Order: sequence, then C-alpha cells, then structure tokens
Amino acid sequence: MKTLWAIWLVPRNLVILFLKGYRKFISPLYGDVCRYYPSCSAYGLGQIQQRGVILGSALTISRIVRCNPWSQGGIDQVKDSDQRFVVLENGFVATKPKEG
Amino acid sequence: MDLLFPIKWVIELILVSFHSLFEFVGLSPESGLAWVLSIVGLVLVVRSALIPLFVKQIKSQRNMMLVQPELQKLQKKYKGKNDRDSREKFAKEQMDLYKRTGSNPLSSCLPILVQIPIFMGLFFTLNDAQARKSGVGPMNSELAIQFSEATLFGAKLSETFLTATTIQVQIMAGIMVFLMSASQFITQKQIIAKNQNPAVQNSQYMQTQKILLYVFPLIFVISGVAFPIAVITYWLTSNFWTMGQQFIVIRNMPTDGSPAYQARLERLAKKGKLPKELQEKRDAEEAAKAAAEAEEKTQREQPKGKSRAKKDNKKKKK
Repeated sequence: MKTLWAIWLVPRNLVILFLKGYRKFISPLYGDVCRYYPSCSAYGLGQIQQRGVILGSALTISRIVRCNPWSQGGIDQVKDSDQRFVVLENGFVATKPKEG
Repeated sequence: MDLLFPIKWVIELILVSFHSLFEFVGLSPESGLAWVLSIVGLVLVVRSALIPLFVKQIKSQRNMMLVQPELQKLQKKYKGKNDRDSREKFAKEQMDLYKRTGSNPLSSCLPILVQIPIFMGLFFTLNDAQARKSGVGPMNSELAIQFSEATLFGAKLSETFLTATTIQVQIMAGIMVFLMSASQFITQKQIIAKNQNPAVQNSQYMQTQKILLYVFPLIFVISGVAFPIAVITYWLTSNFWTMGQQFIVIRNMPTDGSPAYQARLERLAKKGKLPKELQEKRDAEEAAKAAAEAEEKTQREQPKGKSRAKKDNKKKKK
C-alpha cells in the first residue's frame, strides 16, 4: 500500500522539482511582480503539494489569470487538504511515516 | 507545438502584411531590407498592443504615494525582524494595505507569462521560415524560401553565428549582440539611477536588479550566437523600444520621490507649467524648509553656557 502511495506521488514531485527550479533560477530574473500573497509560484507549489498535478495546475492557472493588472491582489492562501502524506522541509511530498 | 497555432498564425499575418506593404512601396521582395523592416513592423505592432498594460501598471505605481505613510509605519513595525514568521506577517499586512487602498504597485504575473507563448510563437515562426518550412497560415513556402535566402549587408538572415558560412553573419551577430546588451544596460541603469524612490533604493529588489544588470548581457551573448539573425533582429528592435519607452516614462511619469521626479518638477516650474496642486505642495515644502532653517537659527542664537556651547560644536562637527 505504501509503495502504491509513493508511486502516486511521483508526478507531483516531478512538478515540484520543476517549480523549485523555476523559483530559484528564473523567478529572480524579474523580481517581485505578484500582486498576491503568497506569490503565484509559491501558491502553485503549495497547490501541487496539497492537491497533485491535475487539480493543482488548474488552480494555479486560475490564480495566474486572476493576477492581472486590473485585479487588486491580496491574500490568497493554499488550504491544506486532508492529506495521507507529509510535505517535507525541502518541499517534496512523501508518504507518512508509520505512527507510534 | 500546435498549441501555439493561433499565435503563429497572427504573427505570420502581421509579418507577411508588412512584407507586402514594403513590396508595394517599391522595395525588392527578395531583399533582406524588406524582411528586416517587416520584423521591425512586427515589433511595433506587438509592443503597441502591450502599451495599455504598461500604462495601467505605471498608474497603479503612482498610487503608491497615497499609501507611503502607512507603508512606512508597517516597515518600521517589522524593522530588523528577519525571521520567517515576521516576514510572512509583513508581506500579508502589506498586501492587505494595497488591497484596502486599491494601490497595488506590483505589475502582476499574467502579462509576463502571456509573453512567453508570444515569444515562443515568434521564435518558431521565424525559425521555420528561415528553415524554408512554410508556416501555419499566410507564410507560404514561396515566402518562407524567399525569407531564408534574404541577405542584409551580405549576411543571410537565416544563419546563426555558430552555423555561419560567411564572416558577414558573424560580424552582424556580434554587432547586434553588442547593441542588445548596451541598450538593456542603459535601460536598467536608467531605472536604477533615476526612477527609484529612495526608500526602495537599497531593498532586496534593487540588489537583484543590480545583479541583473550584468546577467542580461551574458544571456544575450549566449543566445546571440545560437539564434538566427532574423530572431536577433526582433529582440534587438524590441530592446530599443523598451529603452525609448523607459525614457519617455522616466521623463513624463517618473516614480514619486525619485531623482527623475524632482527633475521633472524643476522642468515644469521653469516653464511655469507646474499643476496647481503640485505647485502648492512645492511651495509648502519650501516654506517648511525655510521655517525649519529659521528655527534652527533662532535656537543657535539662544544664550548658552561655555561648556554647553563647546559640546554642541563638537556634535555639529560630527
């Protein structure tokens, strides 16, 4: 069961890797632009961690569309999902260690 | 790459329309000049279409002045607190402030990300045409071949520095990369030196900008040797547009409190064209300054004991 879960988490960890790279190397090229807190890329990272590639990407695209010059921005945080996994300190997602 | 189909189609339409126009006014359709000018025309259309976004962004930046006092209060509150929690709280409160006052100065993410597919569509359109491949719409194979054969000053538009068969291409690419780096450098430098509020002058953002000053030319050199002359032409023209746009903005709509803003006030005052409320504000500021100086003077003239006068003098020297 645990292996199945680990496989289930592979796609989102790949996207997380990409997003981490983007945030580290590309994002600094144009500085602070996002009108929201957290920024679009941080929000995207969070949504992918919590909800996976498909749902997370859809939510991220909707967020980027909202982040336009005519919006006022503001605070828009990622809600935790009821997770059967943990978000590690390095941002990747892993299965929960056995309790007790 | 067919997700880019609509973008490519529009780009081809603009490019081919300009090309027919130049043919109509008498340029040889096979000439490099006609094709280069068509690329320039494409830049003009794309960048003009982006002007409303740019103006909107500048306007919300100018609203910043209204929130400045509150923002400074906030900055003071979190000054020196660099742990993650406080930084997060600060960012949140800042966003909240922008939202309440409708003055978000940040440019937003969508415009940047929208430009990525446009640039990709452009790259593939130009690249395909250069490779004699017909495009998805108006760029038929005859035009594509013509485009790929066109030369300017003996340099083929379809060749890159790396694959060049003639020295002219390398010279041309070299000059263009140099001009591209130079215009980017001037643009960034102008923004940093003239159009920044002193409050942000030393922020993290500005530090990044200063690093970028040297990173961009490097990117240009790397891509400049790998991209065909036609693609570099687009990029170079676009850079020139940015430089001109920045110049106009810095001159006519500078950031409040920046050196460029002061310069503009001076210019307007000289012509006697300073808007009324700005004139009043300026007068008030000058009056306040004069009053402060006068007060200092009267204080200085107050009688003092010897030792105290000495102390004060020492302080002044510091």
